[in-house]
Amino acid sequence: MILTGVLLAVIGLGLVGWFAARGRARLLYTGRGSMHSMPSYHGWHMALWILVPALLAWAAWSAIMPGLVDGAVMADPAAAQLPEGDMHRAAVLADARNIAANPDAVAFDPLSQELAAPMRAAQTRFGMIGGLLILIVALAGGGYGFTRVRAGFPARTHVERAILALLLIASLMAILTTFGIVASLLFEAGLFFKDVSPIAFLTGTHWAPGNARGIDIDGNFGAVPLFWGTIYIGAIIAMVVAIPLGLMSAIYLTQYASSTIRKWVKPILEILAGIPTVVYGYFAALTVAPLIRDTAASLGVANPSTESALAAGLVMGVMIIPFVSSMADDALAAVPRAMSDGSLALGATQSETIKKVLLPAALPGIVAGVMLAISRAIGETMIVVMAAGASARLSANPLASMTTVTYQIVQMLTGDQEFNSPKTLSAFALGLVLFIVTLILNIIALRVVKRFREAYE
Amino acid sequence: MSNSTFSSPAFAKRLAQRHAAERRFKLIGLGAIVISLAFLALLLVIMMRNGLGGLNWNFLSGSDSTDPHIAGIWSAAKGSILTMLVTLLLSFPMGVLAAIYLEEFAPRSRWIELVEVSINNLAAVPSIIFGLLGLAVFINTFNMPRSSPLVGGLTLALMTMPVIVISGRNAIKAVPPSIRDAALAVGASKVQAVFHHVLPLALPGILTGTIIGMARALGETAPLLMIGMRAFIVTPPDGITAPSSVLPMQIFLWSDEIDKAFVQNTSAAIIVLLVFLLVMNGLAIYLRNKFEVRW
Repeated sequence: MILTGVLLAVIGLGLVGWFAARGRARLLYTGRGSMHSMPSYHGWHMALWILVPALLAWAAWSAIMPGLVDGAVMADPAAAQLPEGDMHRAAVLADARNIAANPDAVAFDPLSQELAAPMRAAQTRFGMIGGLLILIVALAGGGYGFTRVRAGFPARTHVERAILALLLIASLMAILTTFGIVASLLFEAGLFFKDVSPIAFLTGTHWAPGNARGIDIDGNFGAVPLFWGTIYIGAIIAMVVAIPLGLMSAIYLTQYASSTIRKWVKPILEILAGIPTVVYGYFAALTVAPLIRDTAASLGVANPSTESALAAGLVMGVMIIPFVSSMADDALAAVPRAMSDGSLALGATQSETIKKVLLPAALPGIVAGVMLAISRAIGETMIVVMAAGASARLSANPLASMTTVTYQIVQMLTGDQEFNSPKTLSAFALGLVLFIVTLILNIIALRVVKRFREAYE
Repeated sequence: MSNSTFSSPAFAKRLAQRHAAERRFKLIGLGAIVISLAFLALLLVIMMRNGLGGLNWNFLSGSDSTDPHIAGIWSAAKGSILTMLVTLLLSFPMGVLAAIYLEEFAPRSRWIELVEVSINNLAAVPSIIFGLLGLAVFINTFNMPRSSPLVGGLTLALMTMPVIVISGRNAIKAVPPSIRDAALAVGASKVQAVFHHVLPLALPGILTGTIIGMARALGETAPLLMIGMRAFIVTPPDGITAPSSVLPMQIFLWSDEIDKAFVQNTSAAIIVLLVFLLVMNGLAIYLRNKFEVRW
């Protein structure tokens, strides 16, 4: 509470500092060339000196204050009755914190009601101390900044250096995110592989994490059926739908359609890519899957299941069509005009030119596009969660219910599970495999696209 | 001359065959487009037929409930709005600043190459991986409140930032060098030239990319599933740390209900979500057509 007020006060101080420094700099102005920087740069310089140190102090204090408050509460006589277990103790403290913030809240434990008063007192005390410290930092920074408002002071250079530092930090966020993904996946998957051998995980064919206990834990974490389901749905069924439809529509739009048709149809086709996957999932479960089941039943298949690999793969394929189409579009456009002109001049028809000249020349680009499409399909989650089913089996029957890596990640993490069980951690191991595979597909595809473009430039 | 190969019956027959093949090929191409569009039409028609009847004020202003007839989407929509706000406030400044740095100031070095490679890869990482990141980092390491718009927004911001960076770089690249040269020639510093002249001209392109990225984030479900935004929420969240749901998650939760009456709710919620997305994409196209300068 207090810290939020302090934050607002610091921002207010920054604003005051900005105007004060700018005003003073304006008074210093005596004519053309009398100052190094414009007055507003002096304002910014001052505001930065107030805000940056104070915000750093604020962040540091926000990080350490909960620990200090808990320490003070533990020293309270009422805390002597606190239970020993760390988990339980943390729960009571969290409850007390909740009551301290909101007196109307209901206590789950009478003890937390008792602890609420000392909690509130400690929060106020440490909040005041921290707030005072932060304000002192802000004022000290402001005081220093104000003394620098002089005619010859290069405020602009300093401010621009700060801007460049900010830009650099923003662009390093990307590396930080990548690092965060790799580190968290590796760390949690490492915990998982302490219990389960990686070889059993990658080569085993029996997936039943529910029964995984004690000695036969390795035998129940075989992920091959999941990999097969993922490949079968995402890389086979979906691609059988998406490649012909995407490629042919790209060919028609670029080679045959008039520019008006192209102008209208292309954006409409792109809508398919913009529809949220949860909508596709619902469509697959509500319409496509029952349709496939009924068709299969009428063809004499015994007991077709409602959830089928075919339904999920089909809908996923449709979702990918615009992606394949736009990749193929780019690849076809990169082929030099002279090649197809040469073929047409020899008397080949347009379709012969496309099949014999254009497609072979654009093949590397198209293949790369298909790889990117596959990487997208195997990482797709909602469609398989809603339509593909949960049974891990190695089967080539498209009507069978099949499960995928992403489906199992969702399964493992959304049940009521304690966090560190192998079952929960297996989600991170699966995530690691998925991340590595999509990364490899993306890197190869991007490299192929780059080399392919260079070849024709 | 009269019996040259060009007028023999065999040639005529072959030519007819080749022309027939040409027509067939063209027809296949047309067929591919028609099939794709038919699928889109089918999807929309089915959602309309199931959902239009359920769209009324009570539905739009109500909260989730176990009774399909009083369940509404306002609590989920408010969760979506809060989440998108967090995402926008983080990913837009970060993305634009990173794009400016990479396009205008970055020296050619190993590090910058690494940044570029990781941005291109992040744009293609499956969204569920970002959910795992959010779970491991924001919830388990930083102890942020589970199923809150804050964590959801942070996770989606990490996912959206690469999209904004890529579109931002393209927009900045499209501003001709003469603009920068003119600013520098009258004495502006490099930073002034970029922030006063290049950035305003690139802004429509950047905004278009941002809206498209936000539309993607709005429809995203999988990463939010990972950070526990699938709770049963009966009151609209009153802050970014309160437990909340989002529109696509509401669709997912209702789609799991056994009661047949929820089909109407689910379809109606889908219509609402699609209308939102359509408006956002329409806005992006409008911005692009209205403000984009062709140099």
